[in-house]
Amino acid sequence: MQKRNLSIFSGIFILLAVVLAGNQAKAQNATDLRFNEVLVLNDSNYVDDFGQHNSWIEIFNSAYNSVNIGGCYLTDDLNNPTKYWIPTGDPATVIPPRCYMVFWADDMPTRGIFHLNFKLEGGKTIALFDANGRTMIDKLEIPTEQKVDTTYGRLADNSQNWGYLDHSTPGANNDHSRKASAGEQFVALDPLGFGMTLIAMSVVFSALAILYLIFRSTGKYFTKKATKPVAVEAKGGAEKVPARKEEISGEVNAAIAMALYMYQSELHDTENTVLTIQKVSRNYSPWSSKIYTLRKTPR
Amino acid sequence: MGSFFEFIIEHIAQFLHFTAFANLTVGHLVMICVGLAFIYLAIAKEFEPMLLIPIGFGILVGNIAFAPGYKIGVYESGSVLNYLYFGVLQGIYPPLIFLGIGAMTDFSALISNPKLMLIGAAAQLGIFGAYCIALALGFSPTEAGAIGIIGGADGPTAIFLSSKLAPDLMGAIAISAYSYMALVPVIQPPIMKLLTTKKERVIRMKPPRAVSKVEKIIFAIAGMLLTTFIVPSGLPLLGMLFFGNLLKESGVTKRLADTAKGPMIDVVTILIGLTVGASTQATTFLTIKSVGIFALGAFSFVIATFGGVMFVKIINLFLKEGHKMNPLIGNAGVSAVPDSARVSQIVGLEYDKTNHLLMHAMGPNVAGVIGSAVAAGILLSFLA
Repeated sequence: MQKRNLSIFSGIFILLAVVLAGNQAKAQNATDLRFNEVLVLNDSNYVDDFGQHNSWIEIFNSAYNSVNIGGCYLTDDLNNPTKYWIPTGDPATVIPPRCYMVFWADDMPTRGIFHLNFKLEGGKTIALFDANGRTMIDKLEIPTEQKVDTTYGRLADNSQNWGYLDHSTPGANNDHSRKASAGEQFVALDPLGFGMTLIAMSVVFSALAILYLIFRSTGKYFTKKATKPVAVEAKGGAEKVPARKEEISGEVNAAIAMALYMYQSELHDTENTVLTIQKVSRNYSPWSSKIYTLRKTPR
Repeated sequence: MGSFFEFIIEHIAQFLHFTAFANLTVGHLVMICVGLAFIYLAIAKEFEPMLLIPIGFGILVGNIAFAPGYKIGVYESGSVLNYLYFGVLQGIYPPLIFLGIGAMTDFSALISNPKLMLIGAAAQLGIFGAYCIALALGFSPTEAGAIGIIGGADGPTAIFLSSKLAPDLMGAIAISAYSYMALVPVIQPPIMKLLTTKKERVIRMKPPRAVSKVEKIIFAIAGMLLTTFIVPSGLPLLGMLFFGNLLKESGVTKRLADTAKGPMIDVVTILIGLTVGASTQATTFLTIKSVGIFALGAFSFVIATFGGVMFVKIINLFLKEGHKMNPLIGNAGVSAVPDSARVSQIVGLEYDKTNHLLMHAMGPNVAGVIGSAVAAGILLSFLA
């Protein structure tokens, strides 16, 4: 029986290990930052805080928590990964969940922490390195051919597909077309809700059915264990006798359980002395005298 | 001197402008009456007083007609009530309540007779029945999902899901869910009697076996792992429910369990009840949609009870004599703990004075809590 249990648990463990191996864990930190959109040739596109038309790089925080990009490195030279250090300690370097940060690649680092010490060119590779200066978080090979005022970016945020975008969207979603919500998409295919009912009830039943199956098995196991013959020492050696069947009624069990509960919760009375009330033969007592009472005896 | 009197009169007029009398509308009066009715039901009829008193009083608080702009109302940023309401809006209170529920729930009845779990699943039909009707009535998918969860008969779950899917309707949904939970002893018995025969109502079930501590501990851990592996979006509710239960069953964290099921759940119940009640300001609450939500809520309770009772009847077709279940415990599949189980007991005793169904009904009742949390997770993952 023990061997059987061991093999069941081993099987479950191996199954879990196989499932987990197939999935990559998703960390929620600086490694979730991604290059999202770049503009190399800026002629009449967005201007920086100095009113200049410069190249820019947009970074997207794909995590669902805020990520501080401070301390990371941006470079256009893979042999020099620590080319531009993004200063730490500035609250402006914190990127909120699923939001963006734009850096100006104008080779003017004296203009602020968002101005890099290199410029963008077609054919260059830019990269973002973690604070240790060795772990590459993301890299982007910029195509050689670049169109004026046309950005090159992911077709949708965090998508693997890149292309030239119709609209420049620094600090905003690359895909600005109206998208139906998950609910709208679901209802478009299932307007009456029967599909949802079928799927959801199946899932609820499956979840509870799995629990049922497991606890039916464990119940059998524990019941068997409880009624297992007990080995008792007899004169002639070990002798097996069946466990005595429970004969106590439910009511008695309930009474015992209540008594135990009250005992554990300290709700029972502590009777360490006996108080006896005896009738006093005298009719008059100072205790019942109106003189000594402060208020009337309640009726 | 004249200008002084003008000053006084002007400021008295200004003060009067700020009083609730000057800002009162018929809607406010209606809602105050609703609040008073809740308080009356709680005190005079003892219908869910722990919930109806805070909610009823919250309705009164929320419908004092003040002049806006002074950080008073529950919807005004920076007001005290708004800070307290944050726990509702962000879905913080419901998981904390589930922690307390877990710490006070004994799953023994369920573990000793695991097939009762399936009744808890069947009763979730009410959720999806109401979802379908809400869609047909023109509610948006997210609104329909949030309304449907009323059928789960679980206030915290209803608040949790509606705060995610349809925050605008949360007040109406929460009030509807709690009102019908309080009315479970009125709504369910006629349906139970309608769907069962006299012979079925007197079925005696085998007494539950004793469940060991190890089994209870395994249930808390395995229950959490299995349900949340299937529906991770239910993690805040299911995780806290089973965590609270482990605190109770482990036997070594009595203090933590006592806090979870005592002071903590009391504090959170007060906050959630008061703020949900206060969120029912007449200006946002008294709409046609709210009326629709109340109608759908009643419908969902009927469907849920139907689903639970009918499921037991169907299962009985496959069970041997002596192992059959009493269909009167089917209604307990909705998770209004322990009211619906109490209804099973009361209705059962009407037909056989010695047939106590309470312990058997507690099985589907607590399974309903798990089932409705799983259902909420599914709705969240499909519609959010």
